[in-house]
Amino acid sequence: MGLKNINRRGFLKLMGWSGVGATVAGCDMPTTVTLEEGKETVTSYLVPEEYAIPGIGVWYSSTCRQCPAGCGLHGRVREGRILKLEGNPDSPINAGKLCQMGQAGLQGHYNPDRLRTPKVRKDGKLVDITWAEALDLIDQHVGASSGLNGARFAWVSDSVSGHQAMLIDNLMSALGSKNLFIHEVVNSEVARSVNQAVLGDATPRYQIGKAHAILSIGNDFLGTGDSPVHASTEYTEFRSSPRGVLGVVEPKMTLTGANADLWMAIRPGTEGVFALSVANVLATKHKMAIDMLPKAIQTAIMKRNLNEDARLTGVSGNHVIRVAKWLSSNPGRSIVMVGGTAEGQVNGYQNGVAAMVLNVMLGNVGKTIVASHEFPFPQLEHRAGGTAGLLDFVKAIDNGGLDVAFFSGANPVYTAPAALGLKDKLASIPFKVSFTQFDDETSQLADLVLPILSPMEDWATIVPKVQGEEAVISMQQPVMEPLYADTRGLGDIVLDLLKKRDGATYGNYDSYYAYLSQAFASFPANMAADGKAVTWNDALAKGVIAVKTGEKQLKAKLDQVAVALPEENAEYPLTLIPTPRLGLWDGRHANIPWLQEAPDQISKVVWDSWAEIHPNLAKQLGVETGDAIKITSAQGAIDVKVYVFKGIHPDAIAVPLGQGHKGYGRYADGRGVNPLEILDTATVDGTNELALYSTRVKVEKARNKDTLVMMGDHDVQMGRKMVSTVTPDVFELTGGEA
Amino acid sequence: MLATHLYSAGRALDRGASCSASSLLSSTMSRAVALLVVCALLVFGSSGVFAASNKNPLVPNAVPPEGTYDGEDVKQPIEFPHYIHADVNKINCMYCHTYARRSKVAGIPPTGKCMGCHSVIATDKPRIKKLTEYWEKHEPPPWKKVHDVPDFVHFTHEKHLRRFVFDNKGMKVENVSEVCAFCHGEVKKMTVAHKVKPLNMGFCRRCHEANNGPHDCWKCHK
Repeated sequence: MGLKNINRRGFLKLMGWSGVGATVAGCDMPTTVTLEEGKETVTSYLVPEEYAIPGIGVWYSSTCRQCPAGCGLHGRVREGRILKLEGNPDSPINAGKLCQMGQAGLQGHYNPDRLRTPKVRKDGKLVDITWAEALDLIDQHVGASSGLNGARFAWVSDSVSGHQAMLIDNLMSALGSKNLFIHEVVNSEVARSVNQAVLGDATPRYQIGKAHAILSIGNDFLGTGDSPVHASTEYTEFRSSPRGVLGVVEPKMTLTGANADLWMAIRPGTEGVFALSVANVLATKHKMAIDMLPKAIQTAIMKRNLNEDARLTGVSGNHVIRVAKWLSSNPGRSIVMVGGTAEGQVNGYQNGVAAMVLNVMLGNVGKTIVASHEFPFPQLEHRAGGTAGLLDFVKAIDNGGLDVAFFSGANPVYTAPAALGLKDKLASIPFKVSFTQFDDETSQLADLVLPILSPMEDWATIVPKVQGEEAVISMQQPVMEPLYADTRGLGDIVLDLLKKRDGATYGNYDSYYAYLSQAFASFPANMAADGKAVTWNDALAKGVIAVKTGEKQLKAKLDQVAVALPEENAEYPLTLIPTPRLGLWDGRHANIPWLQEAPDQISKVVWDSWAEIHPNLAKQLGVETGDAIKITSAQGAIDVKVYVFKGIHPDAIAVPLGQGHKGYGRYADGRGVNPLEILDTATVDGTNELALYSTRVKVEKARNKDTLVMMGDHDVQMGRKMVSTVTPDVFELTGGEA
Repeated sequence: MLATHLYSAGRALDRGASCSASSLLSSTMSRAVALLVVCALLVFGSSGVFAASNKNPLVPNAVPPEGTYDGEDVKQPIEFPHYIHADVNKINCMYCHTYARRSKVAGIPPTGKCMGCHSVIATDKPRIKKLTEYWEKHEPPPWKKVHDVPDFVHFTHEKHLRRFVFDNKGMKVENVSEVCAFCHGEVKKMTVAHKVKPLNMGFCRRCHEANNGPHDCWKCHK
């Protein structure tokens, strides 16, 4: 019996024998693992660094690249290998903390499915080529003599910042192309455009730590927001004395929702109604002024009716009153945050405006919501993106077509809804290059697949998406030598391409490292936050450079608010919520076993997909946890196991993002389903972002019980009082002494 | 009488690498049961019976661990003669294995350290020529590991050297090779190292008992 196809019975049999072996052997049996003489090679140093002692770790600073937040890292290196990642206490983003995705960065780096050599597609099959040949091939298509029309070139990337962003920009201008499409599924683009329109600042800083009451409308800031670890560190402050109160209203309980004092399930798409309903109670019951708002908005607020709104939203009037009480007791010390499921609706933009109305009424703007830093290096700033990048890319293919496309970081073939037809459309692009560590769905269709260094091996500068108290540039330095000699850094590749276009400017730099170290050779004192010049070594040792920023003030400018209700749809009565998770994120971490085996924070399921449905719906369908259902939208169907859960609105059905890969390595391939596949391509009104959480679906039972592997079996204590609980109200009354 | 018998049987088992877990798996049930009885007796009977064993006068306050093992002849990229260095020329073990007193691993000496002497000493010898070739290629010789413990065992050279050498009253540092020999045998009489001690848990435990080392499981199994 080979170990590969061992079954449960065989395993137990083997364990039985091993048990006998172990008892017999006692402490004196030389185990097989001690008998490794002559098997392993021990590589000594040639000439060691003074501080390097085998067996004792050395910590290096770097930056986490697992999501766009840009947390600072410390990595422990021993014998030239990175062994452990932790947060960098000097980074104002994460203050020494690191989430599970960050910790699991190691398994991306050591992943056995990493690509090791450049490959070109010949007769439909990928074959090895050298880097010189690969770069020549690229040059033939985009080089100065290629005759490339810049408008027919596109680059699809995940969010980028720092010097990589600048080099990519410079390459794009050298190629005469404006088609840099930044694409992220987990994004906050709708909220950002609301912020831009209302506050004149797309990324204001929410000072969670200074607030005493927070109302989150669909914003999972602790789990999948713009900067989850930063928000969590601020949240600690928010919850310490005096303990702030958190209300969360969303269709499906998220990590943030699970932390709330009051969690409210809302019918998807009615978030704006809820916000105005709260505004109405603030104005009528608590007599809060609304005269700072335009007349149209005042009218919209005053015509709301609590009972009618409760019927529309599914959130009881009592809860609205309770939330209003919290907010009215903390004017200027509260925050209403909007995001995720609230913004990803067709009427998501207006939901965002309605939430902003509350912030203006409560006087939060300028107090708990402050302006972003005026960053002194605009060319290095974070380029955030959403699904507009994806739609624009598809549009570019449709309108006249593309000759060459580059892909880095983003995996649009996996993340694009099938209805966009991207897979077929890509066939019309004659030359597609994928810069990637893994054989993802997009690389499977590329003509040239170039293996890039992992973030543990590469140089970069990162400007975080959301800055903390101080604005920083975060340094990413290699914490170990590349595992595979035939891989290259993305910065090096872009620099090589730029050299071919503009030798005079870039010819002097041997490598991206040389380019970066020269850029930082003398970071001027007048640009540093503390007025002291920063040397290259200082920057690398500390991991972050705090930069001097200009002051900005927020000024709210509201015009009107038009909350609309989602359309009724008799054929497809439910709304599908493809849930992002702090784990697999948008699917990019599905090839990391640690994150696959880490139970989902809400359902506790591992290594699989599931659909969260309300017990009432389960009863109606005649299914229970473990049974399989078929979820059908107008665009297609998925077949997935059920997790019956009270933390979801009966009109919603939630399927987590991240699984359903075809390829992408041994850990991700063929596991679960990808809910993005069956999404509609409707966009959020007033933006070019996909309304990710608005697809209407119907469900039917597909099969009887299947195995749904999860930690624990049920979410109640069966009356055993293993953990005593009190409601927040009782706690408040009794001070926890009840 | 019984104690003596058990003790000698215990030593025989230490030597007997053939009694491995894999052979047990393929053996029959009855043989396994018989072995179980014998070995269980050995395990319970062996502790403390060797206490009166051969103390080393060069290492005060220490009872050397008992047990022998006949390891494989490991072919190294260069047939390094330990005896020329440690015995003939009396070079202290810790001169080359410099990390032993600072870290959990003793460390293979950096190639630069070899060349520190051998850029002028014995440069005409074939082994040194081979070493110089590696050095000029900027490659350390691919030495093969001889002594190892499983990954679930946390062994540290530094703590053992502190106990038996640096914090050991009356112990002379120049005799450190006698302490190294507790676990590595008389390497100074060998060319390339050869495993002559079992380095299994029984071996460790007996030494810890005799020398009052820590007895908590988690000291080694962290």
